[in-house]
Amino acid sequence: MKLSSIGIRRVVLGLLGVLLLASLAFVVMRSGPLAPTRVTVVQAAEGRLTPALFGIGTVEARRSYLIGPTVAGRVRAVTVDVGSLVKAGQLLAEMDPVDLDERTAALDAAVARAGSAMAGADAQRRDALARQALAAVNARRTVELGQQNFISANAVEARLQEQASADAVVTAATANVAAARQDQQRLAAERAGLRQQRANVRLLAPADGVVISRDAEPGSTVVAGQAVLRVIQPSSLWVKVRLDQARSAGLTAGLPAQVVLRSNPGRAVAGKVARVETISDSVTEERVAQVSFDQAPSDLSVGELAEVTLSLPPTANAVLLPNAAIRRLQAQIGVWTLDGGDLRFAPVRTGLTSLDGQVQILEGVKPGTTVIVYSEKDIGARSRITVVETLAGQQP
Amino acid sequence: MSEAGIRIEGLRKRYGEGDTAVDALKDVNMVVAPGEVVGLIGPSGSGKSTLLKCLGAVIEPTAGRMILGGQTIYDDGWKIPDLRALRRDSIGFVFQAPYLIPFLDVTDNVALLPMLAGRPNGEARARALELLTALDVGHRATAQPSELSGGEQQRVSIARALANRPPVILADEPTAPLDSERALAVVRILNQMATQYHTAIIVVTHDEKIIPTFKRIYHIRDGRTEEEAGQGLSL
Amino acid sequence: MISLAGRDILHSWGKFVLTGMGLGLLIGVTLTMAGVYRGMVDDARALLNNSGADLWVVQQGTQGPYAESSSLRDDTVRSVLGLPGVARAANVTYLTMQVRRASAGDGAPSSDNDDVRAMVVGFEPGQPGEPGYLVEGRHVTRSHYEAVADVRTGFALGERIRIRRHDYTVVGLTRRMVSSGGDPMVFIPLKDAQEAQFLKDNDAIVNERARTAANPSLNRPGVPGLLEAIQASQANNRNVNAILVQVQPGMDAGLSADTVAETVRRWKHLEAYTRAQMEEILVAKLIATSARQIGMFLVILAIVSAAIVAFIIYTMTLGKIREIAVLKLIGTRNRTIAGMILQQALGLGLIGFIVGKVAATFWAPIFPKYVLLEVNDALLGFLAVMVICALASTLAIRAALAVDPAAAIGG
Repeated sequence: MKLSSIGIRRVVLGLLGVLLLASLAFVVMRSGPLAPTRVTVVQAAEGRLTPALFGIGTVEARRSYLIGPTVAGRVRAVTVDVGSLVKAGQLLAEMDPVDLDERTAALDAAVARAGSAMAGADAQRRDALARQALAAVNARRTVELGQQNFISANAVEARLQEQASADAVVTAATANVAAARQDQQRLAAERAGLRQQRANVRLLAPADGVVISRDAEPGSTVVAGQAVLRVIQPSSLWVKVRLDQARSAGLTAGLPAQVVLRSNPGRAVAGKVARVETISDSVTEERVAQVSFDQAPSDLSVGELAEVTLSLPPTANAVLLPNAAIRRLQAQIGVWTLDGGDLRFAPVRTGLTSLDGQVQILEGVKPGTTVIVYSEKDIGARSRITVVETLAGQQP
Repeated sequence: MSEAGIRIEGLRKRYGEGDTAVDALKDVNMVVAPGEVVGLIGPSGSGKSTLLKCLGAVIEPTAGRMILGGQTIYDDGWKIPDLRALRRDSIGFVFQAPYLIPFLDVTDNVALLPMLAGRPNGEARARALELLTALDVGHRATAQPSELSGGEQQRVSIARALANRPPVILADEPTAPLDSERALAVVRILNQMATQYHTAIIVVTHDEKIIPTFKRIYHIRDGRTEEEAGQGLSL
Repeated sequence: MISLAGRDILHSWGKFVLTGMGLGLLIGVTLTMAGVYRGMVDDARALLNNSGADLWVVQQGTQGPYAESSSLRDDTVRSVLGLPGVARAANVTYLTMQVRRASAGDGAPSSDNDDVRAMVVGFEPGQPGEPGYLVEGRHVTRSHYEAVADVRTGFALGERIRIRRHDYTVVGLTRRMVSSGGDPMVFIPLKDAQEAQFLKDNDAIVNERARTAANPSLNRPGVPGLLEAIQASQANNRNVNAILVQVQPGMDAGLSADTVAETVRRWKHLEAYTRAQMEEILVAKLIATSARQIGMFLVILAIVSAAIVAFIIYTMTLGKIREIAVLKLIGTRNRTIAGMILQQALGLGLIGFIVGKVAATFWAPIFPKYVLLEVNDALLGFLAVMVICALASTLAIRAALAVDPAAAIGG
């Protein structure tokens, strides 16, 4: 029987229809809400982690000195500029002494006057001593004469009284001398004090270092406590690193560090944790550590930002999983395991993490378990899944 | 009378009302016996088409009586409830042009009528094949109508008209587009079928080539018919 | 009885299939528009789901971090943590901004049109606000300058991106993390995000310092260190946009969340929204206008589709007037003819729907925003297409039934 054109047509159209329906079914099953979720898996394996801590820090000087006056005054001269190297004791700046010199001169004069006064008092005392001696002689003579009744008793008493007065005058004169001396001492002390103040007007470098800022120019008025210059010791530059409190387990002094400065991001400088601060920042919830350089780079600037990675000692063997596998179900942390086609949520206890995303699993997953790492969607116990090699490049 | 064939008595058809009324048929009387092929001749406007439409139960006459295949279908009012079924079962139509359904193949074009009448597809197709073979187009049974020649299409349309074994066939200018040889062939076939299946056939025509073949002819003029003996030339 | 509709389709199948495909594309557009709306709603839901929170605590009198801007002190989270029923609470910041590629990967400077509009989320690791799952890479392990990005940003693993003043390395990729507006998310550590949100660029900072220094009440000569302290506090940012709270499980989550929310509102002078309330804010208020827009568009599309189907079927029927007259004359029931036309219309609709659904599924992922084609929408669409085709065919059926069989008998 010859093939009718109707028959051929029917077959062709039938095939087209089947193709259309098949593509519809394909489309419905593979995408859209009925499609299974694609996931990737990994076998849990044991291994060692090299955990590390990460923080951002700024370069600071270990010792920095604010050079300024102790009383308000006007700056008279500043002898160094930013960048100058200074030695301990070097004159850096001078405040205006105002009337200190004049007052010193006044005090000098006062001291001199006190000396003169003392000389006068001394002379008076000698005078009084002389009178006393005479009065004593007179009194002795008179007493002798009185005893021989050559002089009346009045005369004897008069002479005795003269002697007593002369003694008193001597005492007074001695006291005057002492007073004049004390006065002189007092003025000398005042003068010494003023000289100290005069010395304070000169601002000296307390230690070797380099000037990093010049905050007041000659002629400007500064108050007590305000800095005229800031000096740091360049050899004492270190990095003050802030680490998240939650991720700073194992932070101790002595940890090796790699410092990447903002100005030179391609180069890591080696360093070491010099000190872990006892006081943490409770507002930002960060711990602070000071990291010193093994070999300070030459072009450091104070205030520069740096990224610091501290290496912790490698851990013991434990099950490791990528941190993308860690999920939360309600209140628990755990992973989804694939047990012969069944999805099961295994709660875990995690330990240390490394900076490249590996997490120690202390409890909950045995080595060799198939664990779900990446998934297209959030998965639950009843999700339909299909395991693929990689999700990269799939339809978003 | 309850004989087969066609009998028309006093048929009248008026279009319109009152002053604008037109009597397309005034008084038509015809008798065609089963197995007879009768010609109906008349100028245009004489009412030929109107008569066919009345006979074909597509328009309603105004008065008169029509008996087809022994059934009184009209007697001053339709006497048959389902005219469409009547057309399907009792009247076969052959048109000027074959008017085959283009999306059915030849067999299905012919088998359509029995299927419409409720026959199972296999039986309908078998009958169609039988008719096509009888009309000498059986070898084109699976072809599409567009693949057939004009004469073949005309023969298929005749087969379709016969498919339900109707007692009556109305042919409206079946030979108009054909040349004399083909026209005579069509008339020959009609006569054959009429004899073979005892069908009464009215052929409306003004084709001079075939008029001599009729044994009886009805002239229709101004809505009235007149019988005349034809030449009855043998084919 | 053979199927007349089927035979007609088989006979002129090319025309039919082409018409069906054309109609199918129109239906595909309609389904896609519905998918756009569903995608918007899903974006909002995804945003709420992915945050993993039961409760959003925001500035009093505002409508949440997504619909309205809200600003809180970041130490408020400690007092929220102390409330009964709270299992976890964490600060988050949200800022929609342009994120640029810092380099083209090989160190070459990037061009200016490498900007991506993204929502930058500041989160605390291990707390609500962190992406719940990844498709590549790892979670952020360093406290600064690492980021996890949604794949829709177009960033690759290891790429460096610039957010405000700093460069971040993309260490992980995730999927379906989008804002309610459909912008993909980039997750960075909270402190970096706080700085990004409130710290200005260098010129503005210098200007601000100069202004502060010029203010005599802030720059007192008798108080050394005052100006520096003020400038330091200006450069500091202690604000966040919201606190995400998870309530303790075990209790009925909805009840417990409502209780905690009420406590927060009453005693903490803050505003708190539960999941249901946030969803209402996002879906009902944020998306409402777009939903109406899309709804109107869908109505227009439906009308256009109906008109096109009606026109096509009508034209196809008119082309068969003569055959219909003959069929009627030779005794075909009106019912059969009407059925043929109806079947053709439904067949056209079926082909159109399948083509449209397949096309929509294939081109949906190409759209810049998420297009979600739901099964319910497809079924509803199928029903609608069938109904529209049936109704559209009535015009042609009326025309077919009006044909006078007598026309086959020529004058």
